[in-house]
This record gives sequence, structure tokens and C-alpha cells, in this order.
Amino acid sequence: MRRILLDIFLFFQRDLRIAGTYRSPFILEAVEALFGAAMFYYVARFVDSPALREALPQGKTYFAYSLAGFVFFDYLNEALDTFDRSLLEARDAGTLEALLVTQVSLPVILIGSAFYPFAGTMLRIAVYLGWAAGFFNFPLGAANWPAVFVVLVATLLAFSGFGVLSAAYLLLFKRGNPAKWFILGASSVTGGMLFPVSILPPWLQMVAHLNPVTYAMDALRGALLNGQGILSLGRPLLLLLAFAAVILPSSVVIFSWALRRTKVTGTLTHR
Amino acid sequence: MSDPAIILDSLEKWFPPALSGWRAFLQPFTPPTTPALRGITLEVKQGEAVALLGANGAGKTTLLRILATLLLPTRGSALLAGHDTVRESAAVRQQIGYHAGSDLGFYSRLTGRQNLLFFGRLNHLSDEFSASRIQTLSERFGLLGVLDRQARALSSGTIQRFSLIRALLHQPKVLLLDEPTRSLDAIAAADFRHFLKMEMLAQKETSLLFASHTMQEIELIADRVAILDEGKLLAFDTPNALRARTLSSTLEEAFARLTGRKLYSGGESTPE
Repeated sequence: MRRILLDIFLFFQRDLRIAGTYRSPFILEAVEALFGAAMFYYVARFVDSPALREALPQGKTYFAYSLAGFVFFDYLNEALDTFDRSLLEARDAGTLEALLVTQVSLPVILIGSAFYPFAGTMLRIAVYLGWAAGFFNFPLGAANWPAVFVVLVATLLAFSGFGVLSAAYLLLFKRGNPAKWFILGASSVTGGMLFPVSILPPWLQMVAHLNPVTYAMDALRGALLNGQGILSLGRPLLLLLAFAAVILPSSVVIFSWALRRTKVTGTLTHR
Repeated sequence: MSDPAIILDSLEKWFPPALSGWRAFLQPFTPPTTPALRGITLEVKQGEAVALLGANGAGKTTLLRILATLLLPTRGSALLAGHDTVRESAAVRQQIGYHAGSDLGFYSRLTGRQNLLFFGRLNHLSDEFSASRIQTLSERFGLLGVLDRQARALSSGTIQRFSLIRALLHQPKVLLLDEPTRSLDAIAAADFRHFLKMEMLAQKETSLLFASHTMQEIELIADRVAILDEGKLLAFDTPNALRARTLSSTLEEAFARLTGRKLYSGGESTPE
């Protein structure tokens, strides 16, 4: 286990070193985050009303509600996309083959390569929230940070299985990320990102209740905006962990099968 | 007597046909119908250098990729340093140094040294050992001056030499090289051949299996030559024995006779 963690850290170190050779992206992303936070603030000012606040299940203002939804989807996007993207980059740069003949297995290569992008996403979210709190009065003081952390870990466990499935799809079919398209597409309507699911027609509300993203979103808003603790978020957290218990092992089995299949068909490093 | 470094027993590899359009979705499930290797049986002794010689598509790269655990054989078995390439792939990877013959496989924003250290760590070498090997090998190949330049600023020949250093870094028991001098200039190629023959193979601790189209390279380095044609092993012997058996004056001529190809005066061979 220690060896695996060290190997994962090697990839983080590699990506940090590569990122260090580019200077401007972080500054540009930070500026972009400021504009993004400002956009949510002014949209919220335009639409906010006492009636709207009444209708929101969590969050004191529409600004807080929508920004929390947005950063959560950014995080979810990373969980769904990062494995597939790191595999694609390694394959296209020609480093995949060189990595595969080392002592490190492909699952560890994927997890290791996902580490830095996740750290980057967390940093981006922190910058977003920092701007929002500093300039636009986002209620960061209300957050229960241990609960926020637990919700993010449970979300990562629940949805990275789909990311692994997408990586398996990429191995077999070379392009496309169906898990991302499907989950982000469906969840942009039924996940409660920018509006509460209660405004949806009954049949879409049923879909929303079957969608684990809805539970993760509710749990994150509860912890971040309402200061709810881990115990009071027990139900959505248990649902997410149960979901992870099914999807993660299944995705690992399917990924292993896909990897074996590409070694049979000789298409492992094909584009 | 020590065990052979490589044992191939009736090794076969078949690929599915390449599908396009909507049928590409069936590609991973398509049965293999195209033979790449057909019943290859051979042994490479410890400390021996064996060349794979064959026309394009003869199966040389497929064979090397099976030994590097990047492909699974369809039938038969491949043992490397006593380990099965399918069931004990991690143990096999510990024993091999693999060079795919391309100038890819390096992170363009990292320097040569950073790239090599990273791959050394992935092979679980200590930084001290890697640093010392990188220094020694870079000095040997005249790369000290470019060791701390980003890979994107290096020529393809230089990157290929770094790739060869990467294959040698962990002092593997078996070296698998696919056209190792393909992108090298004449001087660098000659130097690398000299290194393989006089410095590495002379110690009889490393075995070498390499694919090459350069007869001069094969003549210089190989103890034995495996001639492949359309996935079949046509002959496996020393260069002298191959020449004698085919009544040829050169290895090129022997190759042409064994594969039934016509040899032109320019040295190119084509099927009859």
C-alpha cells in the first residue's frame, strides 16, 4: 500500500513539475474565476426575490445557491473526466507505452495522473469561493468544513467509478466520454445545479430522486451553506457510499477487462 | 548451464481486422482473423544477442511487444527470465528494458534528466542509483550537455538516445530493442552499436533481442539471427551458418533467398 501511495505521489510530482513550466494559466484562471463569481452575483441580483429565497431548499440567497451548484458541477466534471483525459494525453503524447513497461500498473498510472488535476480543481474552487466571499458576500462563515470534506470524498468515490468506466470506453473505442455526457447532461436538468428539483414536472422529479448527483448536491449545499454536520447529512452520505460500493468495484472489473481486450486486439496505444 | 533468457513455445498472435464507420463499435469484440505470428519457437540464451530480421509486417514488433507485456499472445507461451509474460507480467517488466524505436514517450516540458529520473522512480530505483546511472550513460553517449534541456528542445535522434538510456537505466537482464538506431545519425548509430557489442554484451550478463533492417548492425551485434516472414520463423542461426546454408556471400542475400524475395543491386529486396 505504501508503494502504491508513493507511486501515486510520483505522478503528482511529475504534473506539478510540468505545471511549473507554464506560468500564466493559474493567474488567468484566477482572473476568470473572479469574472465567473461576478457573473453569478449579478445574475442572482437580477432574479433574486423573497419568493425565490422561500423556494430554495438551502442557501440564504440565490447567489450562494447557484455558485455552490456551479462549483460542485466543476468538481463532478473532474471526477468524470480526469481518468479518461489522463489516458488520452498519455496515449497521444506517446508516453503510455513507456509507462506500461514500468513497475507501475495502469490503474495506479490513472489514479496518479488524476491526482494533480483534482488538486487543481480544488484550488480553482477555493479561488472561486474566495473571490465570492471577499467581493460578493458569499456566506463562507456558515460552512461546516469537515462535513464539506466528507461530502466531497463521498462524491469522488461515487462518481470516479464512472470516470474509470469512461477510461475503459476510451481504451476500447478510442474517443468519447459517454459517462460524462450522460451524467452531466442529465444532471444539469435533474441534479439541482441552478434551480431546485421541486420546480420540475413530476416525472423529472422522479428521475432526480434516482440520480445520485441530486443527493450529493443537497449534501454539499447543506454542509457549505447551512453548516450541517456529518450526522445530519447521514442519509445522502450513505446513499453516495452505497452507490460507490456498487459502481467502483464494477468499474475496476470492466476496466481490467477492457485493458486485457486491447492487449488481445493490439489497440492499446492506438488513437 | 543457466536457463535461457527467453523461451518462445509455439507462439501465435492473431489480430482482428480493422473496422471503420459504425462497425468500429464491434472492433473490441471481433474475432482475430489476421495472423501476425505463426507458431514461433525459439530460445535466446543468457548473454546472447539475437536479431529479428524480416520485411515490414513480418511480426518483429509484435513479438517484441508480447515480450514487453504490451500484447497478449493468442496461443503458445513466452517466458522471459523464467516468467510467463501473461501470468507474471509484473515480474517480466522488472527484467526488461524496452525501447519502441520511436522518439516519443518523453514529457516535452521536462528535461532529459527529469524524464529519466521519473521513469527510474517508476521502476522503483533509488534516486541516487538513477542519478548515477543517468550521469554515466549520458556521459557515455555524449548527452551531458543536453541533459538539462527540456525534451521539446531536443532533436528526435537525441530523444531516441535518451529513450535507449531509459531502457538501460535499471540494468535489465533482457533488452528488447525495436530498430534501436532508426533515428540516429551514422556516428551515433555506430557508437551505440559499439556500446552494445563491446561494453554491454561483452559482460554476458544481459541478453538482447532486437529488430533491425540494418544488415551491418545485425552482422556486428547478433550472435544469431531469427528470420521472420509473414509471421513464420524461416530460419534461426548464426549469420555465418545462414550464409553457408543459402550459399550466399552476404546476410542480405541469405535473407532474400530464404524469404523468396528478389534482391536488387541497390540492396532493396521485393517479393518475387
